[in-house]
Amino acid sequence: MLSVGQNFPKFNLTAVKAGNKDTAFSKIDNGTYKGKWQVWFFWPKDFTFVCPTEIVGFGDLNKEFADRDAQLIGGSTDTDFVHLAWRENDERLTNSPFPWVADVKKDLSAALGILHEQEGVALRATFIVDPDGIIRYSQVNDLSVGRNPKEVLRVLDALQTDELCPCNWQQGQETL
Amino acid sequence: MSIENLKDSLPEYAKDLKLNLSSILSNTDLTEQQLWGSILAAALASRNDAVIKVIAEESKQHLNETALNAVKAAAAIMAMNNIYYRFTHLASNKEYSTMPAGLRMNILANHGVDKADFEMWSLVVSAINGCSACMDAHEKQLLKHGLSINSVQTAVRVAAIIHAVAVTLENAANL
Repeated sequence: MLSVGQNFPKFNLTAVKAGNKDTAFSKIDNGTYKGKWQVWFFWPKDFTFVCPTEIVGFGDLNKEFADRDAQLIGGSTDTDFVHLAWRENDERLTNSPFPWVADVKKDLSAALGILHEQEGVALRATFIVDPDGIIRYSQVNDLSVGRNPKEVLRVLDALQTDELCPCNWQQGQETL
Repeated sequence: MSIENLKDSLPEYAKDLKLNLSSILSNTDLTEQQLWGSILAAALASRNDAVIKVIAEESKQHLNETALNAVKAAAAIMAMNNIYYRFTHLASNKEYSTMPAGLRMNILANHGVDKADFEMWSLVVSAINGCSACMDAHEKQLLKHGLSINSVQTAVRVAAIIHAVAVTLENAANL
């Protein structure tokens, strides 16, 4: 599994937003959110049980992430139409405010090293990627355990909070 | 109200301040942006509504949009840093100085104006808020940026004068 300090892999995938078959699909790649942080979180399968609560949890914090110049991106190895069907099927998810990628060929999941060996689906992995495309946080849970979106926000906050002022300047130290 | 009115509304016993204010307004040691940014920063740190309103309005004639925002940003972020770093500097327990502050201050890296100017406005606010560590840090940066010691002193004189004007007018309104 890729970790802190490594480049997020190249990708070009269909993403599914709220909408219908004519409006919900778009392609996203490494340049789509140029200048922003990206918070990726993968789940194993659409239409299963732990995932909705996580997706709703992250969605509730979408504005907090946006305020921090961070784009939330969800993903699984399901197809674009399955994502669309799940959104339509579960009213908690219909208006999930961030895009879900369909990593059907499993290229991105494989490059990230997050495919479950036996099941072949994506593990519950979370990555925070900075505007330069470098992974700054990576975390993975086993299939049955949900994540805490607030914790991810906390980490993003901490990553962005550099002590930029020369206020703790001591003799000889370089300042801003 | 204009700055002229402001000057004229200073009471007789504060004639010194009126004349100091006149002098500083025509100062030529600093660039226009440095001078007016310092005046506005000092007004914001001195927290008198009337003075802030007048100076903010007048500043628009001397500072562009980016500079105006940067001055406000300096006053805003220093209002936080002056408290935090004054504490870590003065506290007997020095362990606080080694702990990560956990305070976002990203504006320090992207205020959009000349770094020396932003440092000057930060010094002005720090001088008014009384954080010695901050004052030293900013003063050092200003000299490093090639400003003369006279220019730095001028910025502090601006802080002193504007602060006095603000306090005096605030009190005069209540007396």
